Amino acid sequence: MADHDTAVSHHEEHHEAHGTGFYWQVGGVLAVVTAAEVAAFVYRDLFGHVTFLILLFSLMFAKGIGVVLYFMHLRGDARIFQFVFIVPFTLAVSMVLAFLVLFSHHVGIAG
Amino acid sequence: MAIAEQKLTSTAPTTSESFQWRSWLATVDHKKIGIIYIISAFVFFIIGGIEAMLMRVQLGTPNNTFLSADLYNQLFTMHATTMVFLVVMPMNVGIGNYVVPLMIGARDMAFPRLNAFSVWLFLGGGFLLYLSFLTGGATNVGWFAYAPLTQTQFSPGQGVDYWILGLGLTGVASIAGALNFIVTVLNMRAPGMTINRMPLFVWMNLVVSFILIFAFPTFTVASIQLLFDRQFGAAFFNPALGGDAVLWQHLFWFFGHPEVYILILPVMGMISEVLPVYSRKPIFGYSFVAFSGVGIGFLGFIVWAHHMFGTGMGPLANGFFAAASMVIAIPTGVKIFNWIATMWGGDVRLTTAMLYAIGFISMFIIGGISGITLASPPIDLQQTDSYYVVAHFHYVLFGGSILGLFAGAFYWFPKMTGRMLNEMLGKVQFWLMLISMNVTFFPMHFLGTEGMPRRIYTYESGMGWEMWNFIETIGTFFLAFSVLLFIYNVLVSLRSGEVASNDPWDAATLEWVVPSPPPSYNFLHIPQVTSRRPLWDAKYPHSTADDHHGEKSAPSQIRYEYSHEDSPGAKEIHMPTLTYMPMVLSSGLTVAALGFIYINQAILGLPMRVASYVFIAIGFVMVFYAIRGWVLDSRRDSPYLGHH
Amino acid sequence: MSSSAGHTHHGEAHQKPLVGSMGVDSRKLGLWAFIGSETLFFATLILTHLIFYARTTNTLSSVGALELLDPRLGYLAIELTTVLATLLLASSLTMVLALAASKARDWKRFRFWQLATILLGASFVGGQIYEFIHLYHEGLKLAPAYEMHLSHEAYKALSALNIDPSIVRLKEAGEHATALVPSLFGVTFFVMTGFHGLHVTIGIIWLIAIYVKVLRFPESPENPMDIELGGLYWHFVDLVWVAIFTLIYLI
Repeated sequence: MADHDTAVSHHEEHHEAHGTGFYWQVGGVLAVVTAAEVAAFVYRDLFGHVTFLILLFSLMFAKGIGVVLYFMHLRGDARIFQFVFIVPFTLAVSMVLAFLVLFSHHVGIAG
Repeated sequence: MAIAEQKLTSTAPTTSESFQWRSWLATVDHKKIGIIYIISAFVFFIIGGIEAMLMRVQLGTPNNTFLSADLYNQLFTMHATTMVFLVVMPMNVGIGNYVVPLMIGARDMAFPRLNAFSVWLFLGGGFLLYLSFLTGGATNVGWFAYAPLTQTQFSPGQGVDYWILGLGLTGVASIAGALNFIVTVLNMRAPGMTINRMPLFVWMNLVVSFILIFAFPTFTVASIQLLFDRQFGAAFFNPALGGDAVLWQHLFWFFGHPEVYILILPVMGMISEVLPVYSRKPIFGYSFVAFSGVGIGFLGFIVWAHHMFGTGMGPLANGFFAAASMVIAIPTGVKIFNWIATMWGGDVRLTTAMLYAIGFISMFIIGGISGITLASPPIDLQQTDSYYVVAHFHYVLFGGSILGLFAGAFYWFPKMTGRMLNEMLGKVQFWLMLISMNVTFFPMHFLGTEGMPRRIYTYESGMGWEMWNFIETIGTFFLAFSVLLFIYNVLVSLRSGEVASNDPWDAATLEWVVPSPPPSYNFLHIPQVTSRRPLWDAKYPHSTADDHHGEKSAPSQIRYEYSHEDSPGAKEIHMPTLTYMPMVLSSGLTVAALGFIYINQAILGLPMRVASYVFIAIGFVMVFYAIRGWVLDSRRDSPYLGHH
Repeated sequence: MSSSAGHTHHGEAHQKPLVGSMGVDSRKLGLWAFIGSETLFFATLILTHLIFYARTTNTLSSVGALELLDPRLGYLAIELTTVLATLLLASSLTMVLALAASKARDWKRFRFWQLATILLGASFVGGQIYEFIHLYHEGLKLAPAYEMHLSHEAYKALSALNIDPSIVRLKEAGEHATALVPSLFGVTFFVMTGFHGLHVTIGIIWLIAIYVKVLRFPESPENPMDIELGGLYWHFVDLVWVAIFTLIYLI
């Protein structure tokens, strides 16, 4: 009787848990990035509007990547998890952008 | 091993077996859950059909007074809501539930208790939706519930709130079900069944499940926002207070368009199973059919605003959505040509299921063509909100989904019940249904082109619409009669139909390996899969008709199984235990939702608000009790703990 | 919770992960798919907020009142918000440390970090509730308009602009001046952050349940996966806040 549902695959065994020191480092980086975000906000008048947006988006993505890749262990885990997260995430980002366009001045009877 | 050598097992249930409540209410078996879905969906099909017939009687003659305007509005809203959410979706899920685990060589779905939760929650939602007829009137704002008509000042009463919460419950049930299908299809396949060897019905269920979990959240948010508008003084969709009515449309259709692919893709999967069996040939272009399903799923997310060409989005948006909508015809066409090529040169048997499958293809083509014209904004500006649209979607939904579901019904009925449906009755029913369907819906193309709007409860004489409306109403009655024929066929066949063997159709996939109906554990021995058509290759190892392209790795060792619950070896197979917790959880959520409908004191006064809080509290107590019980059940069954 | 149906082994507790045809644990796959779905749930809430915020700022700048009456600058205090963001990020760190402890089967250390996660999460929710109450008193409610308290100078500056009362209605009652601005900022803000807070609360309950269960059955071989699953959900809830923090409070 094939006991297929308890077969151990290579995927699960290969991912090595990082040492706790690594997680503290990631946490530290996230804290620094957060501080940078707040600093950028407080001193936003120093930047042009577009620069400010790019800066903030980059910092936000850096934090997000840190949490997803390392805390949620997406890097080094089975590929299917990456697929199942990245596809809807891309769809979500596209949806937000599409709606912002649809509710902007570029859309409407006037053109 | 040959198909003629099959034995008949004695597992077909006789009508004299006593009905055991507990084995159904506490079931976690995908087959029983599938049956519950199928029967419930069919009951809702009858109800939705009656709603349609009432409307057609009203429209049969001009200036008719058979129904009041308000009742007519409730009927078209509930007819559509019922057919979409309470008929086609659960019927797809029910057949999928029954068949998919068998097709992939599994013993059950990945999460059996979650599966049970989904079916009971679906029934809870359906109950709420229909309760509204008794509590002051059902929702009457159209199934797409455009704003600001749905605001309290234009829709007083609780009809819309029942709709929001009823569909909220069925939505949660659907998302849970889709997660179950995704994990089952990805993670529970028998050894050797790679993704490229899965039956196409399984492929389509996987694609649809992904569409579902990505599309539904938007509808959930939009309906929560509408609920806040109605109950808590928000104004998301109320232009008078700064809200945006078109935002509702965008959010609804961002969900609503993928929803229609959710309605059709599983049925396309069924057709992809039925056609090869009755052509005695493999499906032509397996990869193309599989990937076109994926393509349709993806493209389905970028076409939604073709439902909104009349809202003045301007040329940029119109152009984009028109182009995307036309492109989606391509993968659809790919499927259609592959289906035709499957039949071409095959040894075709025109069983009822096959007739329905061919009917599906032809009717869907007609619906697809009217869809192409609707995809063009200038043409759509005349056609939108007219009976042309009603014709289009009835061709794809009735001519498509419903005919396809009948194909699946005639194909899989023997497996589920151990009896064959009567073929003569089936063929009579098919022709009657096909002809009356066309009599009912084809003239709607003309009416729409001649300017008859949708969602009107009557029309003046002298508009030139009388003749077609009358003909359509006559067609409806014949359509109803064809459904009655089906019910008669089912009842007669259950009682005294020919007993079905494991594999009455000489088919190719794994569900036909096991007895009809299968024992609770499905397979005594989990099959080892070596090709796309494991059963066929076992029966006809020297068959030259082959699209395997290297998918076949070894001769198939599969043999028919004739085991039952008392067979040696069967008792060692431990299936998850019966539990009432999923039903208690869904009942708790239903009770809480019912309370939530009446939460707004400003509208209804203190006693009602107290009652609503009581219902919510009781509901939550049931929820917590059920979650606790569920967790304990799972510990009892946990494979980690080596129990059993 | 069982991750497969109808298993046939006899009696031994398994230490190895249970995987299926995709080589993964079924519940973990289901949870990731659910997380993917929730991404769209929050995207919809966020985009609704952004659309209506843009409307408000457009209207206010068209009458020259944006600097004085921007609801984001006027209501959302960056200090409190930064503290909340830090609490939640810290709780993600403690969560992953708890998971690491469980994999090393160091249950004392696990309990410490898990408790830390729960407390940090509870502080976040507490802070949110405090923020909500504070905003309510400042005039931002779940209502299609906000009533911002004005300083004397602000009132004078706004009066001088002579804005149409349907856009900004100035009110003065003795020393107390307010501006009533029709805007969906409050509605979208509270619904979005409210649902996030609800998700955090559910997460806290889940983490407490895991804590209690591991406390009672420390040697149960399913513990690491149970903890990992709760942790995944918790990190997701933090991830959503990473987006909300930037998109709503900063941009």
